[in-house]
Amino acid sequence: MIEYYTLMHKGNAEEYTDNIFMNFDSTVTVLIIYSSKEDSPEFTEDDKSRISSMITGCRGIPFDEISKALERDIAQGIDYMLIHINDSMINIERHGSIFAGIVKNGELKRLPNGPFSIEDDDRVVCGTSEFFKYLSYPAVLSDALTAESSEEWMDNMVCRISEQNMLAEGNLTAVTLIVRKDDIKVLK
Amino acid sequence: MSDWNLIADETRALIAYALILFLIALCAFVYFHVYYRKSIKGVVTDETQLALDVAYFHEKGKRNRQEDAFYISPMDEIRKYGFTACVSDGMGGMRYGDEISQRITDSIKDMHPISFFACENNAEAIRKISNSLFEEYKQQGGATLVMIQIYNDHLSFYSVGDSDIILIRDDVATILNPRQNYVSILIRGLVRSGKQTQVAYGNNKARALVDYMGNHNPRVIYTKKPLRLFADDTIIVSSDGLTDAIPWKSIPQYVERSAVATATNLKMSVKQKKLPKQDNYTSIVIRLSRSIV
Repeated sequence: MIEYYTLMHKGNAEEYTDNIFMNFDSTVTVLIIYSSKEDSPEFTEDDKSRISSMITGCRGIPFDEISKALERDIAQGIDYMLIHINDSMINIERHGSIFAGIVKNGELKRLPNGPFSIEDDDRVVCGTSEFFKYLSYPAVLSDALTAESSEEWMDNMVCRISEQNMLAEGNLTAVTLIVRKDDIKVLK
Repeated sequence: MSDWNLIADETRALIAYALILFLIALCAFVYFHVYYRKSIKGVVTDETQLALDVAYFHEKGKRNRQEDAFYISPMDEIRKYGFTACVSDGMGGMRYGDEISQRITDSIKDMHPISFFACENNAEAIRKISNSLFEEYKQQGGATLVMIQIYNDHLSFYSVGDSDIILIRDDVATILNPRQNYVSILIRGLVRSGKQTQVAYGNNKARALVDYMGNHNPRVIYTKKPLRLFADDTIIVSSDGLTDAIPWKSIPQYVERSAVATATNLKMSVKQKKLPKQDNYTSIVIRLSRSIV
């Protein structure tokens, strides 16, 4: 099982214009669209509903196919990140200034594009560059290692951002994910 | 060929012995470098051993009494048990702050050697210390606690309250432990309702602690898994008397290559500020460097 928590905060902007789309199955699909980025082409309501229905219906569709469809349907210049994650692997496709990091062996490592194996209690954070602007690697790592849940991890990172800018800057968009293999026990 | 025949039999035998001995020495040398070093690499390498350089200061500031207390585990047992250090800061304005902080660090000392790997048990032991203080002092006093453990190149930490564990890496300071105060709670509430957080910092009372040692069953924040350390990292375990006087983000400018020099810079800087209400300030400075074993 994948435990997750999302942050969608408008900051001092008039509206929240980033987007997070998710689909829950044995594999969780996460799509973050960083449409609030300065000089980013407009991500219209039509685009939103088209992408939303694509992600809603993506169950069972291979990662590469979804990735190709997104490349076709999302306007060039819009930054986005697609993630497929289950309790044994994570696959990432990143376009532009959205980043993902994994906490492993006491370190935070940035995830490049491609598939990677993951284990129980591995912790992954992905978010826009606006979200990571005030967070150092040790800060993200330390909050991951002390948190009991994905929600607490996010809360602690948000407190750090708040200390720097009182959340009075751009849209903040991020997702924390924790692999929980032992969540369901089968009795025999 | 003819020259070789001119050498006496005894001399030729000696040369042969010398050649054999040389070959044996060569084989031993190759074995040591290729096989033996490889076999011990998993146990001890120059990569996994970081040497610790430790210094501290423990000052009263403008207070009448010293309500901070600290403990540093024996330096000559680092190889065997790792390194433990803690600082406890008695809550100002309450009775027994000095007694309680001293009781906490004495209890940590009594726990030595503390297993590096039993994080959950250690957190439970700290909670029990707090519970016994609760029974004795009935919340008429309390203290914060920050404790770190370093074993080889990994760090674990424990925190109750709002004292600081600061990591300085690549000239950037990061406070590692989340603060247990009302500001954090207010921020969570404001974020959930989509608001900005200026109001959380407007009220000085919001800095009050939501958990502390001396409370019943306080939440002990601790690392579930250790954090990797690197050569040239500096860690500062301190009471908030330090960060009240010196903004934590500016601490890297005081960091030197030795712990003593860093501690001296910090201490002198707090003294020179001559703040009229300077709190007690205590810091343990740990500098990590590569060590060849």
